[in-house]
Amino acid sequence: MKILEESVQRQKIFFNVAVLALSLFSLSHRQFSFDRTTAFENFMVDMFSPMQSSVTYVKTRTSNFFEHYIMNINASQNNTKLQKTVADLKDQVFSFEQVSKENKRLKELLQFGGELDLQKVLAQIIAWDANSDFKVLRINKGKADGIELQSSVVTSVGLVGYIFRLTDHYADIITILDPNNRVDALVERTRSHGIVEGYSRNRAIMKYLAGTEPVILGDLVLSSGLGNIYPKGLKIGKITKVERESYGITQSIEIEPVVNFSTLEEVVVLVGTKDEVKEKEWKALDDAEGDEQ
Amino acid sequence: MKNEIKHQLIPLGLTIIILVLFEVVSTAVFPALGVKNYRLPFNILIVLYLGFKVESPFIAIHIIVLQYFHSLFSIEGWEMGTISGILICMIIGYLKELLHFSSAFITILLTQLFQVFWFIILAAMLYMKMTDFSLILDKFYRFIPESIFISLCAPVVFLILDRLWGVSSKEGMLGEEV
Repeated sequence: MKILEESVQRQKIFFNVAVLALSLFSLSHRQFSFDRTTAFENFMVDMFSPMQSSVTYVKTRTSNFFEHYIMNINASQNNTKLQKTVADLKDQVFSFEQVSKENKRLKELLQFGGELDLQKVLAQIIAWDANSDFKVLRINKGKADGIELQSSVVTSVGLVGYIFRLTDHYADIITILDPNNRVDALVERTRSHGIVEGYSRNRAIMKYLAGTEPVILGDLVLSSGLGNIYPKGLKIGKITKVERESYGITQSIEIEPVVNFSTLEEVVVLVGTKDEVKEKEWKALDDAEGDEQ
Repeated sequence: MKNEIKHQLIPLGLTIIILVLFEVVSTAVFPALGVKNYRLPFNILIVLYLGFKVESPFIAIHIIVLQYFHSLFSIEGWEMGTISGILICMIIGYLKELLHFSSAFITILLTQLFQVFWFIILAAMLYMKMTDFSLILDKFYRFIPESIFISLCAPVVFLILDRLWGVSSKEGMLGEEV
């Protein structure tokens, strides 16, 4: 009996040490800028995500049901006939308004960045990351819709983030509020460069901005286009706090994103031509060198 | 509980299904209801259950599998949760003789206590990676309500898991009868 217990203990210690070593090894080799999924992960995420997607569907249908029917039934109790007609008409008008608003919103989304030579994929947010430490959104579009890893994600208002993880039909966006996401940015008015990094639930900070740069509250911060992820000129946010210390060479800047993440429903993924842009840049450089010679 | 892995595959599979359902609730249902800043870490609750009640040499394997499925819903990855989980289970192993789940209150209290240990281990790892204490502080403010909710769920979730893992009924929902 004692021998059996000792053997179980030894097994337990072996597995604990082995799994701990494997976890530490994997953690030290972990890529924090993007996550390439395996075929199994791809399959599993595609299998589980419809459940998350169905929750969004049920929520929309339920709120529609309550807004369109239950509320109207309550109203019609006062003056059955007339109220019913009014309620029906209101219901129709409400529906048309919703459709009209949605059309306007989607149109704005699709028209946004017309000057950018990129394909746009419209996607709906279906879930948030399971850990509140990470500001990550899951959308209902994936590889099959033409999305690529590290594609930029925007709304008509400004920058949301980039594609961190991708499966055939779903993708995870790491937002600019996440501390793992860094955007090379510039202040629109002064053209000063810095790095925008996620900070808290609704704020980002701008790092490495020289202390001598005359930035002020309300200055708009844009993506600089450096770093090969985000196109140039996307709105990131407005400066809400500037702290200059008497020592040190940089200043501490806090930014409020222009995108309201708490009410975000749809986003646009910019895809396709990152390599083409790079090729064009190389070609332009080659041409310039050719002209000089 | 039989010690062979083959006897633990079915309970583990069912536990994964429960974890997936909890993750869907946490990532889709709660945000749909407007709770977007807090996420309930049901994976921690399930790992704590394994540490508290399942006697098996394969606990580390179970934890890595559960954390892997959790990582499908989070970009956190499986590594940090696995490390924290195994360390917590080792601590529980040493304190097992002192832990008696004699009432729902004790179950809630012990779950809360070990979530604090989990937080400390995870915060230490995050600090080594980020070297920014303000992020840990921000995490701590979210940890308080999240962990309290999870602790309150513990007696009921443990009851379900007791059935799945065939843990003796005398250790029932509120713990063993003293």
